[in-house]
Amino acid sequence: MRRYISLWILTFVIGTTVCGSGKSLLAADVYAYDPIHSSVGFKARHLDISWIHGRFNEVAGKFSLDREDPSKSTFELTIKADSVDTNNKARDEHLRQPDYFDTKQFPTIEFKSTSTKAIKGGYEVTGNFTMHGKTNKVTIVLMGGKEHNFRGTKRVAFSTELSLKRSDYGFDKNAIGPIGDKALIFIDCEGVRK
Amino acid sequence: MPDPLLYLKATGVAAIVSVAFALAMTRARRCVSTSWLNSVSVLGLSLGLGSGYYVLSLRLAWPPANGLDRFLTIVVPAALIVELLAGFQRVPRWFAWTLRMSLVVAIPRILVHGSVYLSDAGDWTIWQAVWTMVVCSALLAGTWCLLAWLYRRSPGVSIPLALSLATQSAGLTVMMAGYIKGGAAAFPFVATIMATAMTMKLLNRRMSSSETNDGALENVPIPATIGIGLVGLFGCLFIGLFFGRLSSGNATAMLVAPLLCWTTETPLFRHRKPWLVGSLRLALVAIPLVIVLAMAKSKFDREMAPLLGNAAEMRHEIFVGQ
Repeated sequence: MRRYISLWILTFVIGTTVCGSGKSLLAADVYAYDPIHSSVGFKARHLDISWIHGRFNEVAGKFSLDREDPSKSTFELTIKADSVDTNNKARDEHLRQPDYFDTKQFPTIEFKSTSTKAIKGGYEVTGNFTMHGKTNKVTIVLMGGKEHNFRGTKRVAFSTELSLKRSDYGFDKNAIGPIGDKALIFIDCEGVRK
Repeated sequence: MPDPLLYLKATGVAAIVSVAFALAMTRARRCVSTSWLNSVSVLGLSLGLGSGYYVLSLRLAWPPANGLDRFLTIVVPAALIVELLAGFQRVPRWFAWTLRMSLVVAIPRILVHGSVYLSDAGDWTIWQAVWTMVVCSALLAGTWCLLAWLYRRSPGVSIPLALSLATQSAGLTVMMAGYIKGGAAAFPFVATIMATAMTMKLLNRRMSSSETNDGALENVPIPATIGIGLVGLFGCLFIGLFFGRLSSGNATAMLVAPLLCWTTETPLFRHRKPWLVGSLRLALVAIPLVIVLAMAKSKFDREMAPLLGNAAEMRHEIFVGQ
C-alpha cells in the first residue's frame, strides 16, 4: 500500500512538473504576418506643403506573444523595398533607384525586436530597424493585441506609427530636396497563429 | 534634385586642379622623363577627381555601402595605381597589361558585391552572374585594347577627348534615367580627363624634344588618361545599368562609341592633317552619343518630368493612363 502511495505521489509530482513546463512553453503563441489583412504604409512631406502617401505591397514577418511574460515576446518584420507603391509608376521606379531605396543593393527593410514590455493597451517594443543598409535602434508602441478566433484560427492584431528621418539611414541629402527628410510609417498587422 | 550649378562648379574645380598641378610640376622641373610625365598626369587626375568629388559631396566611405561607393573607393583608386605603375619605364609592358586586365576582370565583381545579383535569393543564378560579368569584362577589355592600339598607331588628344564625350553623355543619360548621384559622378571624370589631356598636349607642343630625357613625350601621358577615362566611363555605365534604370542597349552603345575613332584609320582619312583627323574622330563618336541622349531625353520628358512638377502632364497621366 505504501508503495502504491509513493508511486502515486511520484506520478503526481512528475505530471505537475511536465504540465507546468508545458504550459510555460505554450505560453508564447507564434503568429505569422497575414499579408491579406495587414498593410505597411508611409507618408512623406512634399515641398513642405503636402503629404505623399505610399505603401509596400510585399511584407512578411512573424511574432511570438507571451501574455504571461511579455518581455519574452518577439516581433520581426521584413519589407521588400522593391514593392514600394505610390500610385505612380514612374515615381515608384525612381524610388527604387540608388538615390532613394537602392533596392538592388538593399532589397529589404527590416525590424527585429530586442526587448518588449507591456504597456496599457499594447506593448512597447524596442528593436533594430534596418533600412538602406543602416541599422538604428527604434522604439515603437504597438497598440492592440486583441485576439479573435475566426473559423478555428486564432488571430491577433496590432497597429503602430513610426516616425523617422531618412537622413539617419544614409539617404542622399541632396536627393531629399522637395521630399521631406521626415517620413511616417504606419503598420497595421494581423497575425495568424501558426 | 539635379543642381546644374553644383555640377558646373565641380567640373570647373576638377579641371582647374588637374591643370594647375600639371603646370606647377612641369614648371618645377625643367628636364622631364616619360615616366615622370605619366606620374604627373596620374597625380593630376587623382587630385582633380578628389576635388571634384569633394565639391559634389561624394565622400569615400569605408566600408563602401553601395555600387557608387565601391566605384569611388576601390575601383577608381585601383585604376589610378595601375596606370601610375604602368607608366614607369622599368615596368615591362606585359606586366602593365596584366595589371590592367586583372582590374578589368575584378571591376564588375567589385561593383555588384553584396547586391541582389549575388545573393542566394537574388535576381541572377550563379551562371547568369558569371556570364554577365564575363561579358562586361570582355567589353571593357576589348575597348581598352582597341583604344590603346589605336593610340599606338595614330596618337592624338582626340582619343581621351572622345572618352570624355562618351562619359559626359553617360552621366547625363544615367541622370535622366533617374539616378542623379550616379550620373553626377561622371562630371569630375569628364573635366579631369579633358583638362589633363589638353594640358599634356600643350606641354608637348611647348617643350622641345631636347628638354626631355628620352624624347618620347607623345607616347606617355595619354595612355593613362585613356585607361582612367575608360574605367570612369565603364563604372558610370555599369552602376547606371545594374543599379539604376539605364538600358543595356544605351550602355553598350556609349561604351563602344569611342571605338568610332578607328574610322580615321581607313585609307581615305589616314594621311589627312592631324586636326582634321581629330575633329572627324570626335564628330563620329558624337553621332551615336547624340542619338542615345535624344532617346534618353524623350524618355525623361515622358516619365520623369511630371515628377518634377509638371502638373498638366501628371493630370494627363492620371486620366488618360500610362
